[in-house]
Amino acid sequence: MLTYDILIVGSGGAGLYAALESRMEEDLQVGVLTKVYPTRSHTGAAQGGVNAALANLDPTDTWQDHWFDTVKGSDYLADQDAAEIMTREAPMVVREMEHWGCPFSRTDEGKIAQRPFGGASKPRACFSADKVGHVMLHTLYEQGIRHGVNFLNEWQVLSLMHDGRRCQGVTAINTQTGRVHTIQAKSVILATGGHGRIYWTRTSNALGNTGDGTAIAYRAGLPIKDMEFIQFHPTGLRRTGILVSEGARGEGGYLLNGLGERFMSRYAPEKMELGPRDLVSRSCETEVREGRAGPEGEVFLDLTHLGRERILERLPQIRELCIEFEGVDPIEEPIPIKPTAHYSMGGIHTDLNGQTSIEGIYAAGEAGCVSVHGANRLGGNSLLDILIFGRRAGKHALEYARNNSFTPVDTGQEEADTQMIASMMEGDSGASIADIRRAMGNLMAEKVGVYRNGKDLESAVSELADLQEQFKTVRIQDKTKAFNTELVSALELKNMLDLAEVVAVGARERKESRGAHTREDHPERDDKNWLAHTMTTLGDDGRPKLDFSPVTITEFEPKARTY
Amino acid sequence: MSEKITPVRKSILANIRIQRFTPSEHKSAYFDNFKVKVETGMTVLEALRLIKNTQDSSLTFRAFCRSKICGSCAVRVNGKPVLACSTQLMPILEDFKKDSVSIKPLKNMPVLRDLVVDIEPVIEKLSKMHPYLMENRERIPETLEQESIMSKQEHSRFDYITDCILCGSCYSACSAVDADPSYAGPLTLGKAYRFSADVRDSFQGERMQAAVDQGLWSCAQCRKCINVCPKDTRPAVSIQRMRKMSIDDGIHDTAGSRRAKAYTGDVAKYGQVNKPMLPVIVNGPKGWAAIEAADNYLKKHGIEPTRQVCTLGGQSSTQKIYDKVKELEAKGENKT
Ligand SMILES: Cc1cc2nc3c(=O)[nH]c(=O)nc-3n(C[C@H](O)[C@H](O)[C@H](O)COP(=O)(O)OP(=O)(O)OC[C@H]3O[C@@H](n4cnc5c(N)ncnc54)[C@H](O)[C@@H]3O)c2cc1C
Ligand code: SF4
Ligand code: SF4
Ligand code: FES
Repeated sequence: MLTYDILIVGSGGAGLYAALESRMEEDLQVGVLTKVYPTRSHTGAAQGGVNAALANLDPTDTWQDHWFDTVKGSDYLADQDAAEIMTREAPMVVREMEHWGCPFSRTDEGKIAQRPFGGASKPRACFSADKVGHVMLHTLYEQGIRHGVNFLNEWQVLSLMHDGRRCQGVTAINTQTGRVHTIQAKSVILATGGHGRIYWTRTSNALGNTGDGTAIAYRAGLPIKDMEFIQFHPTGLRRTGILVSEGARGEGGYLLNGLGERFMSRYAPEKMELGPRDLVSRSCETEVREGRAGPEGEVFLDLTHLGRERILERLPQIRELCIEFEGVDPIEEPIPIKPTAHYSMGGIHTDLNGQTSIEGIYAAGEAGCVSVHGANRLGGNSLLDILIFGRRAGKHALEYARNNSFTPVDTGQEEADTQMIASMMEGDSGASIADIRRAMGNLMAEKVGVYRNGKDLESAVSELADLQEQFKTVRIQDKTKAFNTELVSALELKNMLDLAEVVAVGARERKESRGAHTREDHPERDDKNWLAHTMTTLGDDGRPKLDFSPVTITEFEPKARTY
Repeated sequence: MSEKITPVRKSILANIRIQRFTPSEHKSAYFDNFKVKVETGMTVLEALRLIKNTQDSSLTFRAFCRSKICGSCAVRVNGKPVLACSTQLMPILEDFKKDSVSIKPLKNMPVLRDLVVDIEPVIEKLSKMHPYLMENRERIPETLEQESIMSKQEHSRFDYITDCILCGSCYSACSAVDADPSYAGPLTLGKAYRFSADVRDSFQGERMQAAVDQGLWSCAQCRKCINVCPKDTRPAVSIQRMRKMSIDDGIHDTAGSRRAKAYTGDVAKYGQVNKPMLPVIVNGPKGWAAIEAADNYLKKHGIEPTRQVCTLGGQSSTQKIYDKVKELEAKGENKT
């Protein structure tokens, strides 16, 4: 049995920041266990920026402005005390990153450069060209090497263990050997990222953003929060869901339907293509629903009228992206796009210190939900969230580990997990992982996507139950233990099916429209009945059980959210 | 007056030849052939995933971000290291005018299974290079109330290197690693230079020592790392600059001193560095392997390798070259 004082699951920004924070006490054993090598985590994909009211560009910016923007952006579902902590501490963590060597772009005076971002009243997104997540992730990893953080790379967590009150540890499989281990830990921090992949190919997320930590916590009886809120981005590439950034529309790109019509004139005649993200996503989706899509259910982002020179000069990276990932040169033809699931606002319920309902178990980052994003995350706030709450979780896990002893644990869970895997490996015939995954992604995109309504959600819930039944018959064809990636996928699919159900049930129950959650049959926000967090636990019948808890409002009374 | 959009999509039935190997089951690597309908837009990674989903679920490869930022998916396609996720198949099939393409794991690292290699040795080398910033207190304030000030120009000295995604393509292609497995490799030296060129850092000395100990002077300057890098971080250039730094700093009493001396000695003697011979001067007979590897590479590309050094007579021309080099390097530093 492996033993750590603190075990951090996940090595994205949240996990690494937590690790650095908890490494400060040299005598404690800290381990970071991760499905992929640390620098491969999805934090690296973030391009735009990280918000902090440094006031380097606009001297009038304050953290209070940032606070208000965050609450408003969340459609008033964020807890205002949490948002306050995040925005107030933001300048400090961004400076700490920069003191550790993070190469942010510079202003003329040599300070950290900032740019404007959607939903922000002042330009406060700190950036590094178009690679801010990448450089942040590498900086944290580098400092992790410097401070001797212990990494368990290419290990996948299977189960979370506690005695009903206190943390015991986890079980995990070492992918390189195929062996299941029990890992005892005083504290565990779950920082496993989001679950955009429940939309399978209709997401901007990495292949492994399958919500493992969230699903594992849910199965271990911990409440998960606000899961129905998923942010969509209007312009993902047709084949892969990879984002084509707003820059293309900013530069004058048109959105066309399959008939070649510039359809935004129907929905936002003034702003046209530059309307807010959610409106543009819904408009694209309406075109598809009303039968005006291209041959493969796509719409188009057309740059051809900008001309070769302008594209080469102003949008070279977007052009390269389209050629490399979609095989389409935007100089010559319109780019096929679809709205794509981008960010998971919901996650494991935690308090302001990142602690869950079980002592010693913490969650942070996209896997957790404090909540600071409420019904809709502002661009640039999630990289901030992972730093602030990764750090807090690390700090408190450290304190907890220092003041508590190990909780006894046996190998019962390890045996159960080993048995579960063995039975999936036995025999040959059964349902295929790829088929179930594709069906799940399609039905989530169609029925639990940009638009939702009671009837579709009801049928989504029952179709998902069918898929869960089918999953029970899945058999792994690959019988080799070492580096069995088919097994990795099967375990991920199991997690996604559980979370997809929670998302669909939450969306079915929430009979209002708020932030990213749009109900065609309940188009208005309803503060009287729904200004509340959705708390889901696993019911005794194996189905999600919903409760609702109040939103913390300290400063800003809910108002209409208009921009 | 809009016009219906009909995208043009081609498709070819292609033969994808993939190297397979499971150490616990096979004595040596072998090839499997898969027939795949390749269409416009399909990347190498999509083809691999399609094969895994529909033909052979045991096919093993790494991939995560599928968007050229995580560095998981590097493989060799028709011999060249590339990222599977950002490489289109159709143009390769069309260019080679064949309906077949081969996919192999990266070189210079042990294969764990099929297309998956063990990158642990590379990570270990990297870790020994002090690949992190150590605060230079003249530039980095003690408190988090203040930022450190770094000009755009100072930032641009190393910014392009921070694009590196640790994909290992350069390591796979490197002639020096091929010849001497203990050589640190392009990406690790690139990372070392990135920090040593950062004005906010205070650890240049130790890092330089680590770089020299791990083969800063063994690089054959064949520039293959530059050719294959998907992020254009130009490791060979970093290595040159790091070498220059080491001479400027004057590393004495180290394994690197011979290298530094050979370098400056050559400049004085010939007016130019005898670059092709450096590995031998430095490593003794072992260095020949690096030279041969580099030679073969050059020959393959129709370039005649040389061990001759052109000499320019007279002190003054040497001085001119020195000056010119300094000037060029000063310019190069500003390039991003
Ligand atoms: C394309 C894109 C662009 C974005 N741009 C921005 C932006 O400009 N600004 C912004 O603020 N936000 C942006 N975001 C959002 C932001 O990047 C993420 O929310 C954030 O990086 C999440 O970080 P994390 O540390 O929580 O998780 P991740 O970085 O996703 O890391 C999760 C970690 O958990 C590990 N893991 C998962 N499951 C397991 C398991 N079973 N066992 C062991 N380990 C496991 C993984 O290996 C990984 O290390 C963007 C997101 C995307 C997809
Ligand atoms: S230039 Fe040097 S580091 Fe780059 S591939 Fe050649 S030998 Fe390796
Ligand atoms: S230098 Fe380039 S090729 Fe080498 S690891 Fe970094 S990104 Fe890959
Ligand atoms: S899968 Fe991440 S670089 Fe290709």
